[in-house]
Amino acid sequence: MLAASAPVSLSVPDIGLTTPLLSLGRDAKGEAEVPPGEAGSPAGWYKYSPTPGEQGPSVILGHVNTTTIPEGVFYRLHELKPGEQFSVSRADGSVLVFGVDRTEIFQKASFPTLAVYGNTDRAEIRLITCGGYEPSTGEFVENTVVYGHLLSSTK
Amino acid sequence: MNKKSALLIAPALALAAMTFSSGAAMAADNGTSTFETNLGAINGSNATGSVWITLTGDQATVTENVSGLAATFNGAAYPHAQHIHIDGAGVCPAPSADTSGDGVISTTEGGPSYGKIGTTLSTSGDTSDKAALDLAVAGMGASYKYERTFTMNAETIASMKAGKAVVVVHGLDPATLPAAAQKEMSDLAPTLPLAATSPALCGTLAVSQMAAMPGGAPGTGVTTALAPTNASTSPDVAWFVGGGALVLAAGGALALGRKRTVAAHKSTVAK
Ligand SMILES: [Cu+2]
Repeated sequence: MLAASAPVSLSVPDIGLTTPLLSLGRDAKGEAEVPPGEAGSPAGWYKYSPTPGEQGPSVILGHVNTTTIPEGVFYRLHELKPGEQFSVSRADGSVLVFGVDRTEIFQKASFPTLAVYGNTDRAEIRLITCGGYEPSTGEFVENTVVYGHLLSSTK
Repeated sequence: MNKKSALLIAPALALAAMTFSSGAAMAADNGTSTFETNLGAINGSNATGSVWITLTGDQATVTENVSGLAATFNGAAYPHAQHIHIDGAGVCPAPSADTSGDGVISTTEGGPSYGKIGTTLSTSGDTSDKAALDLAVAGMGASYKYERTFTMNAETIASMKAGKAVVVVHGLDPATLPAAAQKEMSDLAPTLPLAATSPALCGTLAVSQMAAMPGGAPGTGVTTALAPTNASTSPDVAWFVGGGALVLAAGGALALGRKRTVAAHKSTVAK
């Protein structure tokens, strides 16, 4: 595990994705902020979670869609398979490789906070987007969460 | 899986440009600290749960989700007394804690492991140990969500920071006890059966690796409300504008209708 350093970009070759990373806080209701909704918007790191490489669950949020086109930054996130790898570049110049452990889909109404954000005994990461679009209400009713853990780092 | 073909196309925005930079690693908000624990079954309750506590000064917000507890007692919702125990070993009792050998770890027998009652997680009113056995303000039923903000006493705060605070939810289904134990009376309240006050869930509070726990489910789908028949119903436009490291360039107007997709917060115990 590594010392703290903010992430600057995420690369997930298996789904053709490279994105800079915003820094996301919390809104007045205590919910995690999300990136803007426009096409081309990046994903973001929730700044009150551990930085990637630190012990604990580092949280990266990205939209599944956009205001204008269906393809948001995490449009293809659900395609990731266990064992596939992706990387995060950090402000300190390090590049960290993570392996996918699993993907889980949760109903938003019963989102299991500690199962996603709870303490871990190694450096882990969560890539999170939405799913389960419900045309009758215009809402997304699910979250897709990709769980990964740190495999290696180079600097 | 995801219903991609049906994604809603929302209006384009008058967003001129944006720039962004990565943020620095962040300490907790203004002295806020967060504690958490997963609750494990005791006495074969087969229940599960989780608790996290956000503490700012002496103001604690406790959020708890439990399921699989005993559902009914005398035909009504089963009251589950719940406490933060302090000043013990800071652990949940092992089977060997059952010193009487009746097959049930009573609250008293668990005492050396998790300690005395520091705070009662009551649904209203008193949160001290004096409310410990007030079943009218206990958690109710098999599954519930509890969220309450209250002034936490100094002893509980100190124990929590020392890693010695243990959340215990009480109340077993009597039918799950060994036959002899079903006839025993409570070690705490002689008018109640042993099952009613014995521990069912337990977890030691640890400092969270999250400086601040996000509430609710992430709003990572861009949505707009369906055109309301009542035009006065405007979508929720509260949105992320420059709250983090994101800076909108001059002339950029961000006015996006993003309807909240979840309202998971409840101020009191709810089914
Ligand atoms: Cu107790």
